[in-house]
Amino acid sequence: MSRRFVVLAATLMLIVSACGGTGTSGTTTAPAATTAPVAVATTAAPTAAPPCTVGVSWNNYQEERWAKWDEPAIKAAIAAGGGKYISNDAKSSAETQASNVDNLISQGAKVVIVLAQDGTAIKPSVAKAIQNGVAVIAYDRLIEDPKALYITFDNVLVGKLEAQSVFAAKASGNYVIIKGNKADANADFLRGGYDQVIKAAVTSGAIKIVGETYTDNWDPAKAQTEMEQFLTANSNKVDAVLSENDGMAGGVVAALTAQGLAGKVPVSGQDGDKAALNRIALGTQTVDVWKDSRALGKSAGEAAMQLCKNSDITKVTGTAPFTTPGGNTVSSILLQPDPITSANLKDVLDAGWITKADLCQGVAAGKNASCN
Amino acid sequence: MSGPPIPNAPTAEGRPAGSIASVFGPIGAALAPVRRTLSYLEVDTRLLGMVLALAVIWVSFDLVSGGTFLSPRNLWNLSVQSSSIAIMATGMVLVIVSRGIDLSVGSMLGFLGYTMAMTQAVWIPQALGLGFDRPYTWIIAVVVGVALGAVIGGLQGFVIAYGGVPSFIVTLGGLLVWRGLIFRYAQGQTIAPLDQNFQMLGGGTVGTRVGALGEWASWILGAVICVAIVYTLITGRRRRRRYGFPNRPLWAEAMLGLAGCAVALGVMWVANSYPLPINVALQYGQEHGITPPPGGLIIPTGLAFPVVIMLGVTVVMTFIASRRRFGRYVYAIGGNPEAAALAGINVRRTLMLTFSLMGALVALSAAVQTARLDAAVTNLGVQNELDVISAAVIGGTSFAGGIGTIPGAILGAVVMQSLRSGMVLLLVDSPTQDIVVGIVLVAAVGLDTALRRRTT
Repeated sequence: MSRRFVVLAATLMLIVSACGGTGTSGTTTAPAATTAPVAVATTAAPTAAPPCTVGVSWNNYQEERWAKWDEPAIKAAIAAGGGKYISNDAKSSAETQASNVDNLISQGAKVVIVLAQDGTAIKPSVAKAIQNGVAVIAYDRLIEDPKALYITFDNVLVGKLEAQSVFAAKASGNYVIIKGNKADANADFLRGGYDQVIKAAVTSGAIKIVGETYTDNWDPAKAQTEMEQFLTANSNKVDAVLSENDGMAGGVVAALTAQGLAGKVPVSGQDGDKAALNRIALGTQTVDVWKDSRALGKSAGEAAMQLCKNSDITKVTGTAPFTTPGGNTVSSILLQPDPITSANLKDVLDAGWITKADLCQGVAAGKNASCN
Repeated sequence: MSGPPIPNAPTAEGRPAGSIASVFGPIGAALAPVRRTLSYLEVDTRLLGMVLALAVIWVSFDLVSGGTFLSPRNLWNLSVQSSSIAIMATGMVLVIVSRGIDLSVGSMLGFLGYTMAMTQAVWIPQALGLGFDRPYTWIIAVVVGVALGAVIGGLQGFVIAYGGVPSFIVTLGGLLVWRGLIFRYAQGQTIAPLDQNFQMLGGGTVGTRVGALGEWASWILGAVICVAIVYTLITGRRRRRRYGFPNRPLWAEAMLGLAGCAVALGVMWVANSYPLPINVALQYGQEHGITPPPGGLIIPTGLAFPVVIMLGVTVVMTFIASRRRFGRYVYAIGGNPEAAALAGINVRRTLMLTFSLMGALVALSAAVQTARLDAAVTNLGVQNELDVISAAVIGGTSFAGGIGTIPGAILGAVVMQSLRSGMVLLLVDSPTQDIVVGIVLVAAVGLDTALRRRTT
C-alpha cells in the first residue's frame, strides 16, 4: 500500500508542478536561445513599423508587490508609448536570470528592464546586451554597470525623511535605532539618511543613542524583543525610535504598548504597509515613508519608450549622475518618496493605496480628519 | 534521520545520578556527601547541571548589566520571550527522540499564525459580517489554528511514516511549501490589528487589560502547583510500595517537596514583583476611581499568559511522555525501531502522531507569537526551527534517538533566550550574538556527549 501511495503522490506532484510552472505573465520561456542576439538587432532595425518591444526580467514574481503594483504600471506606460511588453521570471535564481535576459533579447526586446536578483552576477549578461545595442534599465536595484540606467527610490532620502519627522516631534533625548538586516545595503543607506538629520544633535549631546542594533531578516518579532530590552535597560527612558521599516515599527509599537508608552514616543517606518498606515491614523506611529511602486513602474516604462528611439541613457528626461558604492558613475532617475504622517493620510486614500475601512479600523471618531 | 547507531551512545536514559561524579576522581571524592544526597533524592543530575549553568549565566549577566538582568521586569520579559520556543521544543523532543527532525516548524508557525489572524481579523468580522472583538472570536481562531496544525503536522507525518520519505526531506519541503503558501495567499500583507481578547494570549497590553494572571490568581496557581507536587510525591510513594520498589527516605521526600514548592512560589513572587507600567497603572486607577498613593500606584502584574500556556503544555507533555503508552512507544522506537516493531508497537502510527502533536504545539506557539506582536507578518517564525531544535538539543535530547526530556527542553529554551536577550541588554551587536549562541550550542552538546560517554 505504501509503495502505491508514493507513486501516486509523486505523479500528482509532477502534474501540479507542471501546471504551476507555466503561468506567471503569459510569456513562455522560449527554448534555449541558440541564435546570436546580434541577428535580432539587425533584423529589427531597418523597418520602423513594428512596435518597440520592451522585455522585463523579474527576479521573483512570486512576491506580491511586483504583480500587484509594478507590472501594471510598466505595462500601461509601455502601451501608452505604443510598445510591446514581454517578461519572464528568474524565480530568485541569478543563473536563470542571466539566461532570461538573453532570452528576452532573442525575442526581439530593444530595451530590457532588469529587477536584479544579484546586481553583480547579472553584469556579464547586461554588458553583452549593451554591446548588442540593447538598452538596459536597472530597476529598483543597482547594477554596477555605468552604461545601465538606474531607476529607484532614493533610499538615503527615505532615511532622511523618517528621521526628519521623528526629529520634528522630538529634537533631543534618548534615541533608539532599529536597523534592518545587516547583509542588506539598504539598511546602511537608511542609517546614512538618519545621520544627515541627527548627527549634529548627537555630536552636541542633545540626542543620546541608547540602543542601536541590526535585526536579522527585518523580523518584527525580533525587533519587539530588542525594543523590550532597550526599554528595560533604560528604565523606559526612551524618547524616540527610528525604525527602518514598517514591519519592525509594528514590533516596536507592541513593545511600547506593553509599557503604556505607545503614542507618546515617536516611531518611524517605511513601505506603506496597511497596518502601519492604520497605526498612523491611531497615532501610535509618527511617519511612514511611502514609495509608490506605481510611480516607479511608470517612470521605468516611460524611460524604456524613450530608449526605444534613442539608446543614449544620458538623454532620458530626468536623469542625473549617481555615484555607486562600487565607485561607478551611472545615469540614474531617483524618485522622491512621500513621508505620510497623520496630516496627509488623505494622499494614500486618494491614490487608492488603501481603503478607508483598513486605514481607519479602530480609530476613534474625530481622532483623524481623514477618517471622518 | 535514522543515522547509523553510534556505538558509545546509550540507548536508555538510566539513572546516572550516583555514578556521574565518580569519574572525576579526587573531585568526586570531595563531593561524595553531595553525591550521596543526590542519589537519595534521585534527581536527574544532568538537569541539575543545566540549572546550575543557567544560574551562572544569569548571575554573570546580572553583574555585568549592573543588576538589570535579574530585575523582576527583565525576568518577566524573559519568561514571555522564551515561552513560544519552549512550547514547540516540548514537541521537538518527542520528534527527535523518535529519530526524526522537523525543519518545518518556523514556516508552519508563520502559516498557522496567518490563518489564525485571517480568521479573527478578516473571515469572522468581515466575510461572515459578525464584527470585531466578539467574545468568542479568539476561541474560534485558536481552535481553527490548533486543528489545522494537527492536520498539517499529521500530513507530514503520514508521508514520513507511511511514505517512507526521510523526515529531514519531508519537513525541508514543508519549510518551503508553508512559507510559499503564506506569500501566495497573504500577498505580502501584514494582518493587524488582531482581536483584543486574542492579544491577551501574548501577554500584551490592551488599554488597561494585561495578558497576565494578576496578583491573586498567580498566588493561587503557585499554591495549586505546590499541592500537586506534594500529591505526586505521596502517590508515587504509595505506588512504589505496592510494587515493592525501594522508597526514598522521608527527609529526601520532604526536601524535594519543599524545593518544588519554593520554586513554584518563587516564580509567582517574581511575577508579582513586577508592577504594571506607570502609565498603564495610572490609567487603571482613573478607570477604577482609585487615587494613586504618593509612592505611585503599584499593581502586581502576575504570571503572563504565554507562561501559563507553556506550563500547561509542559505538564501535559511530560504526562504523555512518561505516563502514557504513546510516550513510552516513542522512546522505545527511538531506542531501537526494529525491536519496537517486533514488540508489536505500531511504529508508523506512532511516528505520524508525533508529527501531528508537533503541529498542534506549533499552532499554540503561533497564537502566542501573533498575539504578542498584535500582527501576522509574512516572515513570522523565520529561523524558529533552528531555535527550537537548539533548545531541545541543549536540553539534552540526543540525535541518536531514545533520549531526551521535556523539562530539559524547556530549560534549553530559557538558556537560549537568556543568552540572546541578555546580550541585547548589554548592547552586543547581532553578528556577535550569533557567534556566541553558535559556540554555546556546540559546546553544550559536546560537553553533554563527553559526560554521557564517561558514565556508560
